[in-house]
Amino acid sequence: MASATQARRNTRTGLALVSPALLFVTVFALFPLGFGVYISLTNWPLVGAYQFVGLSNYESLIHNSEFLASIAFTLKYTGIVTIPIFVVGYALAVFVRSNRPGSTVFRTMIFVPYIVGLVAESYMAVVELQPTSGTANFVLSKLGIVSDSTAWLVHTGLAVTAISVLVVWFASGLTMMLLMAGMQSVPQEIYESARVDGASWWSMERRLTMPLLRRSIALSLIISVVGSFLAFNQFFIMTDGGPGTSTVPVVMSIYQEAFAQMDVGLASAMSVVLVIVVGLITFVQFRFLQGGAD
Amino acid sequence: MRRSAGGASAAYWLGGVMISAVFVVPLLWEAFRSLQPESVVTAAPSGQTFGHLTFANYATLLSGQDDILRNVINSLIVAVAAAVLTALVSMLAGYGFALFRFRGSGLVFGVVLLAFMIPFQAVLTPLFLEMHDLHLLNSLLGLALFYTTFNLPVGVYVMRNSFLQVPAELVDAARVDGASVMKTLVSVFRPLIMPGIATTALYAFLFSWTEFLGALSFLTNDNLFTLPVALSNVETGTYGAVNYGLLLAGAVIAMIPCVIVYVALQRYYVRGLVSGALKG
Repeated sequence: MASATQARRNTRTGLALVSPALLFVTVFALFPLGFGVYISLTNWPLVGAYQFVGLSNYESLIHNSEFLASIAFTLKYTGIVTIPIFVVGYALAVFVRSNRPGSTVFRTMIFVPYIVGLVAESYMAVVELQPTSGTANFVLSKLGIVSDSTAWLVHTGLAVTAISVLVVWFASGLTMMLLMAGMQSVPQEIYESARVDGASWWSMERRLTMPLLRRSIALSLIISVVGSFLAFNQFFIMTDGGPGTSTVPVVMSIYQEAFAQMDVGLASAMSVVLVIVVGLITFVQFRFLQGGAD
Repeated sequence: MRRSAGGASAAYWLGGVMISAVFVVPLLWEAFRSLQPESVVTAAPSGQTFGHLTFANYATLLSGQDDILRNVINSLIVAVAAAVLTALVSMLAGYGFALFRFRGSGLVFGVVLLAFMIPFQAVLTPLFLEMHDLHLLNSLLGLALFYTTFNLPVGVYVMRNSFLQVPAELVDAARVDGASVMKTLVSVFRPLIMPGIATTALYAFLFSWTEFLGALSFLTNDNLFTLPVALSNVETGTYGAVNYGLLLAGAVIAMIPCVIVYVALQRYYVRGLVSGALKG
C-alpha cells in the first residue's frame, strides 16, 4: 500500500520537475515544427485569410531555380570543408591526446577560435581580406601567392576559398576535442602487443584506433556536416550571398524568402525540406559509421 | 629509455607552440589591429604608421550617439538570462529524470532530446509568427527563451548524468530523513551537481553571446540589437560611412567575454564535451 502511494507521489513529483523543460521544448521547438508543416500547405499571407493549397508550395520548389542553386551550393561547400576539418582535427587530436607536459595548454589554445565564434571572426576576416589594406593580401603577396590587389570577397571562387579556410581554422578544434576524448578512452594495453609485433604507427592508428573510435568519428562528422549544411553567418557577413546569388546557402535562401520576399508558405516548405535533409544526413552517417551494428 | 627523451620533449614543445600560434596569433593580431586608427586599417601596410596605436576606435564605439554600449548590455542580459534559465530548468528536469522513475519518463526524455534533432534554423519562420502572437518579438526576454530552449537538450542530458552519479546511499538517506524534495535538492545534492550546473550555464552563455541568425530575425529595433547584429550595421555603414577600425574594435569586444569565461571555466567545458562524446 505504502509503495503504491510512494509510486504515485514519485510520478507526480517527477512530472512536476520535468514539466518546465517539456513546456519550453513544446512551445519553442515542437509546435513551430508542426506549425511550419501546416503553413507550408497554405498560401499564408502577412495579413488576411489564407487558403490550403495542398502540396503546391512543394511542387513549385522543384522548379525554383534559386532554391535548387542554394542546395547545390550548400552541398558543394559541405563537400569542400568536411574532409579538411576532419583531417586537420584528427591530426591535432593525435598531437594533444598524450598527457605529455604542455598538451593541455596546446589543446586550450587550439580550441580558442571555436569558442570565440565564427561571427566575430567573420567580421575580422572582412577587414583583413580587403584588397591593398588587408593583412591576408600583405602576407600572401610577400610570399608571391597572390597580387596585393586581390579582391577576395567579390569573386565566387576566391570568396569560397577564403571562407573555407576560415571555417577549417575555426572548426577543426572542435573535431580535435571530440576525437581526443574518444582516443583517451582507448585502453593503452591494446597497443602494447601491436608494438611488440613491430606494427608501424600508421598501421596501429588504422587498425586499432580508428575502428575503436567509430562512435567519436561518427559524432564529429555529423556535427561538422550538419553545421556546414546549416551555414549562414559567415556568408551573410562576408559575401551577403554574392557576387550575384552565387554564394547563397540554403538557410540564407529560406531567410530571404521569409523576410525579404515575405512568402511564408514557400519559406516553410523550404524549411521542412531542410529538416528532412538534415535528419537524413544524420541517420545515414550514423548507420554508415556504425556499420549496421548496434 | 628513449635515446633522446629530452630532445623529443623539446621538439614536442616547439611543434606545439607553432601549432598553437596558428590558432591564437590571428586573434591577437586583430586585437593589435583594432588599436590602429581607421586611416591605418584601411591603408596599404606601411612601416611608418604601423606602430601608431590609439584607443580611438574603442572610444568612438563606446560613447557618443551611435554607441554600441547598449548592444553590449543587451547581449549580456540575454546571455546571462539564457544561462540562468537553462541551468535552472535543466537542473529540475535532470533531478526528475534521474531520481524519480515514473511512467512515461523515457518518453518525455526522448521528446526533450528530440529538440536536439530540430535545427533551429529550420523553424525560424513559424517561430517568428508564433513569437509575434506571443508578443515576444523585439523582446530580449523572447530571445532568451528561444536560446534556452535550444540549449535544453544538452543541459538536461548533462544534469541527468550529474544526478545519476549521486551515491545511492545519499539518495536513500535523504528519503528516510523525510526531507522535502526541494530541501533535499538544495541542502544535500547542491554541492554534488555544481560542476554540471557550471557546464550547462557555460554552454548556454557562449551559445547566446555568439548567436546571430535568431537575433537578426527576432529583433528589428536597433535599440534592442545584440552585439553581433549591431556589428552588421557597423559593417554596412548604417551609422554613417563604413568604418573598418570600428568593426575590428567591435569584433574584439565580442570575443573578450568568450575568452575570459572559457579560460576561467574550461575544465567544465571540456568535461561536458567529453561526456557527450563518449556517450555519442
